[in-house]
Amino acid sequence: MNVPDELRYSTDHEWVRADGDRVRVGITDYAQDALGDVVYVSLPEVGTTVEAGGVLGEVESTKSVSEIYAPVGGEVVAVNTDLGSSPERVNDDPYGAGWYCELVPTDPAAVDALLDAAGYEALTAS
Amino acid sequence: MTDAHGTGPRHSPLHAEHRALGARFALFGGWEMPLAYPAGTLFEHRACRTGAAVFDVSHLGTVRVEGPDAHDRIQLALSNDLDRIGPGRAQYTQLLDDADGSVVDDIIVWWVDGTTFDVMPNASNTAAVVEALGGRDVTDERAVIAVQGPSARKLLAEIAPDAAAVPRFGVASFMFQGHAATVAGTGYTGEDGVECAVPLAVAVTFWRSLIGAGMTPAGLGARDTLRLEAGLPLHGHELGPGITPLQAGLGWSVGWSVPRFRGRAALERERERGVARRLVGITTDGRQPPRSGSAVLRGGVGIGEVTSGNFSPVLGHGIALALVAEDSSPLTPGTPVELELRGRRLPGQVTALPFVRGGGRP
Repeated sequence: MNVPDELRYSTDHEWVRADGDRVRVGITDYAQDALGDVVYVSLPEVGTTVEAGGVLGEVESTKSVSEIYAPVGGEVVAVNTDLGSSPERVNDDPYGAGWYCELVPTDPAAVDALLDAAGYEALTAS
Repeated sequence: MTDAHGTGPRHSPLHAEHRALGARFALFGGWEMPLAYPAGTLFEHRACRTGAAVFDVSHLGTVRVEGPDAHDRIQLALSNDLDRIGPGRAQYTQLLDDADGSVVDDIIVWWVDGTTFDVMPNASNTAAVVEALGGRDVTDERAVIAVQGPSARKLLAEIAPDAAAVPRFGVASFMFQGHAATVAGTGYTGEDGVECAVPLAVAVTFWRSLIGAGMTPAGLGARDTLRLEAGLPLHGHELGPGITPLQAGLGWSVGWSVPRFRGRAALERERERGVARRLVGITTDGRQPPRSGSAVLRGGVGIGEVTSGNFSPVLGHGIALALVAEDSSPLTPGTPVELELRGRRLPGQVTALPFVRGGGRP
């Protein structure tokens, strides 16, 4: 399972990439593998404000539905609209073309409180 | 779910093969069976629509009913008219609840020869079928391997030419590496193909030969999306307690010419008072998969419930089967409806079944 070192992780299997004043969010390789083939992704509206742990949207495979939770609280400033017609990118490239949305965190320090790669690997190994 | 010995899920004779192929497993009817292989459900689905897929369906039960009274025992218990077929033919039929005519199980009967029948119930219903018919549960003595898709027979012919030649809904014996096996021209995908019951001694070799011939191994995930596109019912969803074959659109499989079978009186009563609801196909506009349990709305008013729903890999949008009440205005194809899904409403319309025909044609 691919767990890039430079990312932070939530216990709900989202990854976070810090990029200036915003963070990019997606679901992890572990999460996409557990879901199976993703066939539909619902995205939040740009401008939505969400609390940490709040629901951003859903990702659905042929067999199940999973909610995507905000790893940190903040305002949604961008969404990956390509997932509307090509949700399989979540499976093919979860840390790249399969990204989900971008947030401006309410508290930038909240990112540092998330799991690092070693912590997330430990979580998924258990 | 545990097996009869309480030791955990049952496994197919091909379980080690699936593990070696990297399958992800799911529990189904007390069996741990492949859900998908690493290529994934969508790939497996498309392989079956465009080429050939191979499914381990050993979790289906086989109840062997033999002897001079076998025909009459089956006819008394099951709802289809067995005399519509004869030796060397297979038939879709049901075991009904005698009190209300609902479907205890849906079944394929293989009429193997004059007085031998292999009755194939769903995994978890085998015991109920043995109780109703007598016969011997021989599920543990064979693997059942379904070979489906437009290229299935051509590839199978390289390995077992006699099996590949069985007619649609025919049943025949064939030899594989010196062992007698049985084949039927049946399946659950909407594609041409066959299902082979192979003795344990050659089950692994047969499976490997099929994959070696170029067939794509496919799991229960693809089996479910394929049968849904084909508009085929799944017990526990479109069939089960409270759902009769008349409601499920399976009136064609009721043997009305047979004077007596289990559940006939209840079906007669239902036919006389009118069937209160029926199974329809619904297509939805976007990719979001409808799911079982969703309410079906017509003009904002609830008329029924989705029994199965998913994303159609061939059509690229949602499809669903639903049991709906039909009032004065019939639900003809094109009738707009909405599906209530986790607080949202998905627009769609009633659609003739099947959603997809063999070869992936809409």
